[in-house]
Amino acid sequence: MKKKMTSNEKQKATELDGIPTELETAKQLVQSVDELQKETQSLKKQIQTLNRNSTIRISIIFIVPGILSLALSIVTESQVLAFIGLGLTFWGALFYLVRPITYVRGSLLSTTATTLYQITDRIIRDFNIKGKGIYVPPYPKEVYLPQHLKGLKETIIFLSQDANQVAPSIEEMATGKFVTKNPKGVILIPPGSSFLDQIEKTLRTDITKMNLEDLCTTLPQLILENFQLAKEIEMKTENNQIHLKTTDSIYRNLYRDENLKSLRLLGDPLTSAVACTIARATGKQVTIQTITVSPDTQTIETTFQLAGG
Amino acid sequence: MRFPLSISDIGLWLAVTAIILLVTSELLSSSSGRLGNVAVEKKRLRIAALALGLGFMATVVMRVFQPI
Repeated sequence: MKKKMTSNEKQKATELDGIPTELETAKQLVQSVDELQKETQSLKKQIQTLNRNSTIRISIIFIVPGILSLALSIVTESQVLAFIGLGLTFWGALFYLVRPITYVRGSLLSTTATTLYQITDRIIRDFNIKGKGIYVPPYPKEVYLPQHLKGLKETIIFLSQDANQVAPSIEEMATGKFVTKNPKGVILIPPGSSFLDQIEKTLRTDITKMNLEDLCTTLPQLILENFQLAKEIEMKTENNQIHLKTTDSIYRNLYRDENLKSLRLLGDPLTSAVACTIARATGKQVTIQTITVSPDTQTIETTFQLAGG
Repeated sequence: MRFPLSISDIGLWLAVTAIILLVTSELLSSSSGRLGNVAVEKKRLRIAALALGLGFMATVVMRVFQPI
């Protein structure tokens, strides 16, 4: 016997129609994320244009009278005007060329990094982490991976609950989970992973194709010349271990705080970036064995240990 | 109507400017690329200085082949 819908049931059905399903919500979220990303891009462009405008204005102020002076020097055949014109045009061009990239104070970099380590310290305390951090290498970019294994394309650091140095299974790493069950621990993105991307962009070569000796020569030079994050960097390899010595690192103030436990596990952002680079280049897991800091924090010596691939 | 500077004048100007820029790029603070309150891209400054130095060398070569 057919049961007629009461007015209440009808109202409920209409209300349920109005509630978005999970799929619809996900779609809406993806759409809003896309919109926000577009907005961020346009804002970045606006900032770039604003920065460029100021330098362009200065260079125009120099170039226009310079060119006029040069033209006038040809008409009047005056050497003085020619020199003035050359000078002004040259400085105008130079102002355009040497416009600065945004610079920030080095102390600001380490201060902002402190928060990250404080958060990681809380995670370590809450999850009772006892093991060392294991930098797990990513799969090379050109290797095809199915959708469910896409998480393996990024460098990660695994912090184990027990002192055993065993990384979780590929399946667990691929899912992109924060907490792993076997072995128990947490998976984090290392503090130097975005710096590694920057290194790769600057290097313009595939790090996975570099051998360890080449990396030990190229990497310190690259960091010193392009990023000026330390005054001196030395890297050498010896018996499956890599020694890194940084002098006057921009992150040295982080080591003044002896309560930051995670700093000794993950390394400062520069050390972490080096660990990520070694992991990517060798395709092996990397752990930070020791970090020795001089009393004045001027020199930081780190030993990385390579594990099985 | 002719350009009032000779090759040697331009060569001299290029040499002096190149030296000034090279010295400036060397003396700039190695950690920040700051000179007083002006932040500059140290690498590009050095490239500009080297380009000017090459320009000077070009004028020298020109004078070797076409002595005045």
